[in-house]
Amino acid sequence: MPIQGIRSVTKGRNGVGAFILQCKRLDFHYCDWAGSSRGMLSFLQHYLPSFAKANPQIEIRVSPRPNKHPVVKGHYVNGREKVICVRKLEKEQILQKANLLKEASGEKLKRTKKPVTSLNESVRGIWSPYHGDIKTV
Amino acid sequence: MFSRSARRGIFDVRCSSIPIWTRQAQCLLHQGSTGSQFQATPHEIPPQSATSSAASPSSSPSSASLERLSSRPQRHGVLANETTTTSSALDFVPQTRNHVPLNKQPVKPVFTHPLTLTKSLVSMLPHLTSQPPHYISAHLHARPYLLTAGDHLRLPFLMPNMNAGDVLRFNRASVIGSRDFTLKGTPYIDERMFECRVRVLGVDAEPLRIKEKTKRRQRHVRRVKSKHKYTLMRVMDVKVKTVEELLEEGAHVIEDGAEGCEHSSKVETKD
Repeated sequence: MPIQGIRSVTKGRNGVGAFILQCKRLDFHYCDWAGSSRGMLSFLQHYLPSFAKANPQIEIRVSPRPNKHPVVKGHYVNGREKVICVRKLEKEQILQKANLLKEASGEKLKRTKKPVTSLNESVRGIWSPYHGDIKTV
Repeated sequence: MFSRSARRGIFDVRCSSIPIWTRQAQCLLHQGSTGSQFQATPHEIPPQSATSSAASPSSSPSSASLERLSSRPQRHGVLANETTTTSSALDFVPQTRNHVPLNKQPVKPVFTHPLTLTKSLVSMLPHLTSQPPHYISAHLHARPYLLTAGDHLRLPFLMPNMNAGDVLRFNRASVIGSRDFTLKGTPYIDERMFECRVRVLGVDAEPLRIKEKTKRRQRHVRRVKSKHKYTLMRVMDVKVKTVEELLEEGAHVIEDGAEGCEHSSKVETKD
């Protein structure tokens, strides 16, 4: 077994010890006049209090955005943000969108083919032809 | 045929005819079902506490490929306390799995036979356990995932009824190994011999895919859109139990040639 030195650089791996939800803030924007905000207004009245209570680690801001369509905006730990326009959606659909923003990682959407991403070194090491027994074919 | 406004009017009337308390209860139920209760793991609770409770022989895992091991009992305990204090008040604290009926809760695993170890396995297992780090080939829905502690796992599907922060235990593995030693199952290792826990990080999606469908001699092109969702996980630990731990949990040691040993796992050394 090779001698392993002390590794100085630590890598952030959320969830190994403690787990921090990546969504840190949700902004809800609405318009008092426009009809596209009707579902948003009823969401703010009916669902938002319980949603906020169920997710105490997410900061929630509600602010008017007059003469514009309603928008839910999620801010993430990695500095990115995701915006979803909830024009003409019902309050249940808006709750789904809020849950989507809550569970998202904040990363840009990518198509990946490999399921496992590892920062660790290979456990069994890299094969070397100069070590071990002499192989007979 | 209803117009949209007429339908909406009916919907509103129906909604408003429901008394206030039931509507509130509906909201809260809905909240409890989809809006999940997330609880950040405090630093002072190590995953080993769950480990020790699950590793006891009384609560042995089942044949299901997953065992839900998040802090459910604690949450239920918390819920009980809170409801006793604020039972009269209408402000309700939604919980995640409270709405799941008892017969649909995760089944506690039951074993008919104690774990049997052959003598050769007992003699070889300390070599494996004393040589970290370990890798595991964990099987989930008949697919192997080669995992080490700290890996990021993005399942090729969306696992239903999962919330961010949940902890799962993978209990089906074909191979566990270290640098020089490998524990192989026939075809799977007994789930009482190892522990592999993953934490659900959230849900990810792929970029929108647009597939263009065409027919011959037509100018029309149909565009089919799809956007799949995937569950993100992080491997918390991969651990092989030592012989002492296995014997404490009630494992039996048998001779190499005895019957039943053909089903037991074997430790192999690297060539």
